[in-house]
Amino acid sequence: MYNYELLEHTDTVNELLARYGVKFGIYKNNTFKEQLFPFDAIPRIIEKQEFAGLEAGLKQRVQALNLFLRDIYSDKKIVKDGVVPEDFIFASSGYMAECEGVIPPKEVCSHISGIDLVQGKDRQWYVLEDNLRVPSGASYPMIAREMCRRSSPSTFENTLLEDNRNYAQLLRRTMDYVNTGGHTVILTPGRYNAAYFEHSYLAEKTGAHLVSGAELKVKEDKLYYVGYDGRLERIGAVYRRISDEYLDTMNFNPESVIGIPHIYDVFRKGNVALINAPGNGVADDKGIYYFVPKMIRYYLDEEPILQNAPTYLPFYKKDMQYVRENFDRLVLKDVAEAGGYGVVFGEKMSKGQKEEFIRLLKREPRRFIAQEVIDFLDIDILDGKQTVPRKADLRAFVLMADEPLVWKSGLTRFSRNPDSFIVNSSQGGGFKDTWVLSQ
Amino acid sequence: MGIISVEQTVRLLWLGRYTERVYTTLRLYYSSYDTMIDEGKNEGENAYARFCQMIDIPDIYGSKEVFKEKYPFDEENPDSIFSNLNRAYDNAIMLREEIGSEALSYIQLAIYAMNKAKISRAPFIELQRVMDNILAFWGIADDNIDSEQTRNIIKTGKRIERLDLYARLGVGRKELYREICRLEPRVARSGIRYDAEKIKYMKELVEKPEIDYYKVVHEAETIL
Repeated sequence: MYNYELLEHTDTVNELLARYGVKFGIYKNNTFKEQLFPFDAIPRIIEKQEFAGLEAGLKQRVQALNLFLRDIYSDKKIVKDGVVPEDFIFASSGYMAECEGVIPPKEVCSHISGIDLVQGKDRQWYVLEDNLRVPSGASYPMIAREMCRRSSPSTFENTLLEDNRNYAQLLRRTMDYVNTGGHTVILTPGRYNAAYFEHSYLAEKTGAHLVSGAELKVKEDKLYYVGYDGRLERIGAVYRRISDEYLDTMNFNPESVIGIPHIYDVFRKGNVALINAPGNGVADDKGIYYFVPKMIRYYLDEEPILQNAPTYLPFYKKDMQYVRENFDRLVLKDVAEAGGYGVVFGEKMSKGQKEEFIRLLKREPRRFIAQEVIDFLDIDILDGKQTVPRKADLRAFVLMADEPLVWKSGLTRFSRNPDSFIVNSSQGGGFKDTWVLSQ
Repeated sequence: MGIISVEQTVRLLWLGRYTERVYTTLRLYYSSYDTMIDEGKNEGENAYARFCQMIDIPDIYGSKEVFKEKYPFDEENPDSIFSNLNRAYDNAIMLREEIGSEALSYIQLAIYAMNKAKISRAPFIELQRVMDNILAFWGIADDNIDSEQTRNIIKTGKRIERLDLYARLGVGRKELYREICRLEPRVARSGIRYDAEKIKYMKELVEKPEIDYYKVVHEAETIL
């Protein structure tokens, strides 16, 4: 079935990935550990036409989400018009009052969006989650492709597919588009961040400088990089890989030791682009996810091209009723959690646990969403010389430059556990390259 | 960007110092290990204790058997070769965009080789690979790093460390003088502020009939 010479070189590719330090960090028992991210050489293959449909849907979705963010922090028309209840805006942990009235450069809020999709057995793609804060993962298939091409050139000579190594150029174009004048830097919280490899690799590939907060300084409403001899160079765009709350001690969490005091004031005055803009968390909240198809209709006057997984909000009486009646076949997600945490399957709970959970739902209906368990299309992974089916998702990347750009690849993550739907790397998952055929 | 921050400068400098420390202490460990093979044949010999004394590290080992295992491989011991290699990695990992993935990969490979050596029944073969990777790192750093300033800062670190270690080891006058002469143009081109008088003074120290090695160490350590 998989007639690729590449598969004979899985170990070589993994050795090369180890050589180049393709790792992610995790904290276990308060100890930081770096782990290799296991790579499976069987690619996820998406036909050209199928990807064209995804591409159109992804552009549409991210455009609507950007319009939503602009609206929420200004006129709030979507709330006034009763499309999204205000409970889902102001009670969201991602909503930031500090962002009210602030217009980001070129009015782009989500420059880099990571949209998580799964494919059902009916071949239909479903969006599972939107990641609009600091989505990570593009670097892994990017470097994996490089190593695969080195390990098995003939595989690529004989296959017509889109080259995904252009992600750095797309990212650079995105950063340059919003740059307000000066250098572009990638701001990292440091090497003990889970995605540190990605920060450093993207800096290398985009030619942006990788910096820590201590290397930047605000002076007279502008942001500067501070040289060894005290000279200053202006910064016009910061691709920050630091969460909103740690970005600026003067505007957000005062205890942050990784941020830059007053950087948000510079942003507010339009003198630097922050990529992505602060406050995006309000739009990738799992509760807001339910409303994205409505947003598309509201802002773009179009029918959504991509489907959401069937989702219920216990916040609505009708949905609460449905959740209670169909508890065993639903998956429940805590809207404040991420990374595969805070996810419980109704059918796996004991009677007592269910009763307890339903009481919690009644107390905090805004805190959870319920979704139908999608019968994922399994994809094959190599297990020694055999292939075995496993659950997998796809994180697609949409970059917002002078136009929306969809990266013709994506991070395919899979569960290594045959009984698990959780594909996150932090929970033992591996990854694959995503091939988009060019013909 | 045309300028380089204090943080970046410090990382580059210490990357140079730690890679040199790993390289030179490995070479020294080889020669001491060789001496230890014959130890016990003549009374009063204690090569490992002399080694500790020479490079000014505490003798926490108690026996040559413990030393042979712990000095290269014990990651909990800040003086071990592995710890120094980890410190080189700590700096290198923060410099990927500055030195490039290719150069960084040799430090990563040195770590893997060190891990293999730790569990190997013939650790010297793998330790040789650690050394090979350090040499390859220097080679690629020289060849691939575009910024002259970046290269010069790494090499300044390397030269300071070598001078420091050689002075501690009490190497011959000629070798020590050569290392001072190699440091001089490098530090001048690095763009880092330094005390040029110290170079002059070190040369004078080495030219004296009795070399005060501790003073040379002190001057090398405080040149920046």
